[in-house]
Amino acid sequence: MEGFLQNYGFLLVTLVQQALLALSLYFPFMAGQLSLASPGFYALGGYIAAIMATVDSCASLRNALGWTIFPLEWLVAALVSGILALIVGIPSLRLRGIYLALGTIAFVEILRVLFLNLDITGGAIGIFDIPQLFEERWSYILIFGPLLVVVLLFIHRLQHSRTGRAFKAIREDELAAGAMGINPTYYKVQAFVIGAVLAGIVGAMSAPLLNTWNARQGTFDASVSYLAYVLIGGSRSLWGPLLGAALLAALPELLRPLRDARLIMNGLVLVVASIYLPHGIVGALSRLWSFFSTPSAARGGE
Amino acid sequence: MSMSHILQADRLSRNFGGLQAVDNVSFTVEEGEIFGLIGPNGAGKTTLFNLITGLTPVSSGTFSYRGKLLTGLAPHCVAGQGIGRTFQNIRLFKGLSALENVKIPQHSRTGSGLMSGVLGLPASRHEERVVEEKAWELLKLVGLSGRAVELAGNFSYGDQRRLEIGRALALDPKVLLLDEPAAGMNAAEKHTLTAFIREIREQFHLTVLLIEHHVPLVMGLCDRIAVLNFGKLIAIGAPAEVQQSQAVIDAYLGAE
Ligand SMILES: Nc1ncnc2c1ncn2[C@@H]1O[C@H](COP(=O)(O)OP(=O)(O)OP(=O)(O)O)[C@@H](O)[C@H]1O
Ligand SMILES: [Mg+2]
Repeated sequence: MEGFLQNYGFLLVTLVQQALLALSLYFPFMAGQLSLASPGFYALGGYIAAIMATVDSCASLRNALGWTIFPLEWLVAALVSGILALIVGIPSLRLRGIYLALGTIAFVEILRVLFLNLDITGGAIGIFDIPQLFEERWSYILIFGPLLVVVLLFIHRLQHSRTGRAFKAIREDELAAGAMGINPTYYKVQAFVIGAVLAGIVGAMSAPLLNTWNARQGTFDASVSYLAYVLIGGSRSLWGPLLGAALLAALPELLRPLRDARLIMNGLVLVVASIYLPHGIVGALSRLWSFFSTPSAARGGE
Repeated sequence: MSMSHILQADRLSRNFGGLQAVDNVSFTVEEGEIFGLIGPNGAGKTTLFNLITGLTPVSSGTFSYRGKLLTGLAPHCVAGQGIGRTFQNIRLFKGLSALENVKIPQHSRTGSGLMSGVLGLPASRHEERVVEEKAWELLKLVGLSGRAVELAGNFSYGDQRRLEIGRALALDPKVLLLDEPAAGMNAAEKHTLTAFIREIREQFHLTVLLIEHHVPLVMGLCDRIAVLNFGKLIAIGAPAEVQQSQAVIDAYLGAE
């Protein structure tokens, strides 16, 4: 039992964490914006938590707060990520489509180089010996799990709200959305900021989990992975990123017996999925569902 | 400048490179009027609508609504002033349901923010009920309430045109700009549409600007007509006057 929890518990934590990061990308997606900035905010959030948890100048604060320093770290990470997203988002969301994607990749890269060279972020070595929130790594599910539930509920409610409709209108046709009284810039920035806040919080929660934090967190590779989660799972439903993250993050583990061939298999799954499932897995499933449910409804009508 | 004009265009111009798409156009529209805009292909009619609604910036000139300057405002601000429109090449939110299409423009009339909506606070719940009710009313008005959950993109051409008018009405406009609403409709549908435009003008106290190629429809429906040719306003007046204007006859014959 102990070993099971150790192995699969940690895998589960990783899956939930990756799902959350995929969902952080899904927010700008809802407003039709292809942003790959999440890893940057994830790294930023992690550094904020790591710094607050280790630097001497915060020692008295840590002593005074006890374990409640952790929620404070999340809050600070959320705030800083949100403010940075606002500053970066307003100019860069003028860019459209692939240019926005490229701009956000550049943003992630700039942050990475910054983290690599600043003293406070520990340079190339990074920050290590970050105090743990839990004794066992699988216990982190106790924070990531509820966060995932909250985020899913948030998106579900958002989709049927005034703000969610504005996002969808912009995704469908930005020009028409403007002519219907929606300020596209405002809502694009809002969607971008929400995604950034989420990525920042996930970063702050992940720093103690991983124990060390350095510039390898939040790279271009990560941007591509999260994008793959969303595209392969399906970008039109909140279940898409979730399923995509679960499948793709678990895949390397499941394919472990194949040893070196697993990377090839991993790539193969990506290619096959993107060719045969243009609307992602969830999109394909919902088509399948309507395909099988329509004839039976017709039969009932005879 | 008389205050009775609801709309006033003053020397509006727009050029694309060397092309003068709208050239020094001035006119006024009275409240409650159905104001027709005709002219050969490429005359600048759609561009004029785009200038009014802020989708295309003007090169020079101004446009005002009840004495308030609209030129220079962003499209969503113009819409917020109560100016609704349809598009010549139908721009519905095709991947969304008909119901969502008529909910979206109620945006500027409502105000609940992100958290209020997500948490379902009482104010936002009340607002949602009003939005929902109004959306159904509008779908009924355009005869699509039986297909509210279908995606707009799956509708036939005529149904999409009607839904687009419904969507523009959801903005609660005082002025409605219709860009070739009868395009692609058969004679019977055109007839119904004419009656429908009259009806909504009464019901919503609208001022209507209408671009249309189908001459009988324009002549029968409009109180006044303006004729554009190569971006210039070449005639304006009651349908019968305009029809007899030599400049108009030349423009149409010359365009053949
Ligand atoms: N964005 C643009 N860039 C360059 N030229 C444009 C643009 N929009 C319109 N034009 C040109 O301006 C002129 C007027 O176009 P507009 O669409 O306003 O005509 P229209 O009167 O609506 O014609 P139609 O009856 O065919 O719809 C045309 O010559 C058109 O090619
Ligand atoms: Mg036109």
